[in-house]
Amino acid sequence: MKPTPVSLLRDDPALGLRGCVCALVALVLASLPHDARAAAVAKSKDELAKTWREIAALPDFWQGTWQSVSPIADDFPTPPDYTPSALQYIKSYKPVEDSPFANCKPLGLPFVMNIGGMPMKFFQSPGMIALYIESSGMTRFIHTDGRVHDALPNPTFLGESIGHWEGDTLVVDTTGFVPETLFQMGKLASKALKQGDPSPLSGVIFGPHGPHLRLVERMRLADFNTLEIQTTIYDDTVFKRPYSLPPRRFIRGIERRNEPQEWACTDNRDFFDPTTGKLEYNSKDKAQSR
Amino acid sequence: MVVIAVLCCSSVAYAHHSFALFDRSKLITLTGTVREWKWANPHTWLTVVVRKADGTDEEWALVGSSPNMMIRWGWNAADIQVGDKVMVDIHRARDGRPIGELHTVFLPNGKVEADPGGQSGEALAGGPTHLPSKPQGEPYK
Repeated sequence: MKPTPVSLLRDDPALGLRGCVCALVALVLASLPHDARAAAVAKSKDELAKTWREIAALPDFWQGTWQSVSPIADDFPTPPDYTPSALQYIKSYKPVEDSPFANCKPLGLPFVMNIGGMPMKFFQSPGMIALYIESSGMTRFIHTDGRVHDALPNPTFLGESIGHWEGDTLVVDTTGFVPETLFQMGKLASKALKQGDPSPLSGVIFGPHGPHLRLVERMRLADFNTLEIQTTIYDDTVFKRPYSLPPRRFIRGIERRNEPQEWACTDNRDFFDPTTGKLEYNSKDKAQSR
Repeated sequence: MVVIAVLCCSSVAYAHHSFALFDRSKLITLTGTVREWKWANPHTWLTVVVRKADGTDEEWALVGSSPNMMIRWGWNAADIQVGDKVMVDIHRARDGRPIGELHTVFLPNGKVEADPGGQSGEALAGGPTHLPSKPQGEPYK
């Protein structure tokens, strides 16, 4: 059975103090219509103006774009408390020789947030924050209208994201993922790595996530030029307890060069072959299937 | 110097790149004629025909960063035209195939463009700070 967001929040010691408040909020929210088929009501001009004024008072995530300055791979400084099946998987895991995303298939969450190289940009509108991630050309839609998750979200690469503000921190709760989103479940010990391997993916353990993977991201400005996103992973097929990753950091760019650009992925001459674990190269067949 | 730069900055931004295929510890310099310049995501591809010392022609396929990243480092799709004579610093494939990873391109009009692949997030957001005036690699013959 799929756990409810409230029970999961109470499971996280870092969020424990807020448990009661969250439960109350959830009770109130549960009485509101949140079914995707429920009729939406347009705001009046005055209501809309009031909402925009409220938006104007929020922390400034909006100017410019955000470029990752964290390594692509997440570090797992505290050893996760893995389930037996995850331990079994890790025991027989062979590190990828090369990038598993050297093709045009979307990465999905959570790893799409790790790629960097190209910036991401937040947009705000009443009831929704959008986050365009250039390195995948995809946009996350974060609902801030007070809804709760669908009982059975249709699975997608970016999941169903619901956000709310806790002071200056945007808390984004996401679930409802397709099985093939790229998921880093841990990191190999440094002694297991090839010496001098310059790959930013060396030591990464990619693996399958469970059907109820849920992410809670806490996004806040450390200062005007620095955004921090701290993610906690809930997946009881992998971790016995929710795992809190160290924050990832992004720097603000406001020059023209930092503006977002289109990402259309069309040329797949090199690709990762999961059957061999190697990066393959095909200069002749531009229509390389993925 | 080059080795240090590559190692220190390779933790970010080789988003879609291959990592093990190319020998990042060495640069070689190709001199040749552009056969194809593909400006597309996830990677640009520059195909250069090199006339070797023995008189035969060899086709090299060179992978670059994404156009998105290159634009932020001053590149324009029109900078390279088929038929251009170019010099290119590259990291070549370890297995000896005539493929490589773009490092710096020296164009016939004197323009020099560096590939932003492997650079830090700060450098990607800030643009290139230093461009060599002439090729840095060992000439390929």
